[in-house]
Amino acid sequence: MNSGTLPHAETLIIRMPRSRHIAGYAILISRTRNALAGFLLVGLIAGCGSNIVLQFPSIPIPLTEKIPISIGLRMPANFKDYVHKEQVYGREEWSINLGNSNAALFTQLFGYMFEKVTILQASDDPKLLDIDALIEPSIDAFEFSVPNQSKTDSFAVWIRYRIKIYDRNGALVSNWPVSAYGKSQTKSISNSDALQRAAILAMRDAAALIIMKLDETTLVSSLASASTPVTAAPAQAPIAAGADTEEAQTTAVEGEDDDAG
Amino acid sequence: MTPADHSLKIAILALVTLVSSGCVTSRVEDAREGLTGINSGEAVVIMAKSYHLGNETEEKYIRCVEKALARGSEGLNVIPHQEFVDSLFPWFEPRTAPAETKNLPKLMERPGVAEKIAAQSVRYIIWLDGETERVAGGGSLSCAAGPGGGGCFGFAWWQKDSDYNAAVWDLVGLESAGTVSTDVTGTSFLPALVIPIPLIARTQAKACKSLADHLRAFIVNDGSA
Repeated sequence: MNSGTLPHAETLIIRMPRSRHIAGYAILISRTRNALAGFLLVGLIAGCGSNIVLQFPSIPIPLTEKIPISIGLRMPANFKDYVHKEQVYGREEWSINLGNSNAALFTQLFGYMFEKVTILQASDDPKLLDIDALIEPSIDAFEFSVPNQSKTDSFAVWIRYRIKIYDRNGALVSNWPVSAYGKSQTKSISNSDALQRAAILAMRDAAALIIMKLDETTLVSSLASASTPVTAAPAQAPIAAGADTEEAQTTAVEGEDDDAG
Repeated sequence: MTPADHSLKIAILALVTLVSSGCVTSRVEDAREGLTGINSGEAVVIMAKSYHLGNETEEKYIRCVEKALARGSEGLNVIPHQEFVDSLFPWFEPRTAPAETKNLPKLMERPGVAEKIAAQSVRYIIWLDGETERVAGGGSLSCAAGPGGGGCFGFAWWQKDSDYNAAVWDLVGLESAGTVSTDVTGTSFLPALVIPIPLIARTQAKACKSLADHLRAFIVNDGSA
């Protein structure tokens, strides 16, 4: 009997720990599987979106002469906190936070272009300031393309700014759309770096166009204190302090629809 | 190490180098329009034609030509293109850069432009355009991995064409000195029997070296011979 029961007992002794091991392995495998699934899900969610925060796009000092007038610069809220979100091909969401970069760029740009620049806050009344003109830039549109869309190795960014210029009496004298374009290849840098670089190049492109064409297109230098106002009758759009006068679209010195060059 | 071991190592290295590169054919030619030559202290700058005009020249290629032109005892003095563009802002931006030599006199009359160029002693601007494209490819390759290991099986190939053109502008004569162009075609192979063995045709690197060598000779030799 002993010889008959011993193997059974041994089997029992052996099987008990094995079954506990198997149960332990099952739990371990299940937990590992859950963890892997969790990591995969997190990875997929993270892989489906890219967040870019734009750095300050500094421009070099331009080789141009300053326009001898004093201007006020009033920037709308979206210049200080502009975020563009877009779903590409229904699978990848991009969030591009331009943040304060536009405000910083235009402050630097107009500082290089004009003799004197006064930054206006939303509550400031420009009529109370000693300025020859008020310039109010804004963003009309921001678009970009990714390599999958363009079938190239490049990211491209288009930004359309709008520059409104008011004379000292608050009359709108110019409403100029400025279209800028930047492109950056992805071969030696990451996708988010390439998109960021394309956006910075588009902003630099806008700066170059504004330096070259602002006075020619808007005749802003003619608004100097001693000058007479622009001859063509502007659409009268009085400045309401802090208000965004988006309705004033027609002007005396309207530039071409799109001066993309 | 015996001399025999040393020879064996060199032979293996040569064989690996030979085997690991694909087939490449290249062509370089120039068209001279005027006399060239460069004095010591004078410099060149390499620029890409504007992407506003659809040019796709890779940043990596521009840097490669810059380095190749400056390399060696007979290397030219090359001003980094971004430094040049920044110093002349906004006149050499993709939107504003002169597209033809006939625009140079007007550009040089702008305030500060001639002075900035003279301060950097830039004698020639070399405008690059062109790109490297994959023109054909085929085959199939599959890889698998399991607990006991992994491996690949199959064969793939692709053909690339690196076609670049360099226009040389003389900033002293304010005229075009001529063009140098290179066209390199190469086929890469990737056979795999457990381990993939890439035989890569480096067309862009070849196009960079051949263009830079030819450009240096084009500029240094005045073309009067």
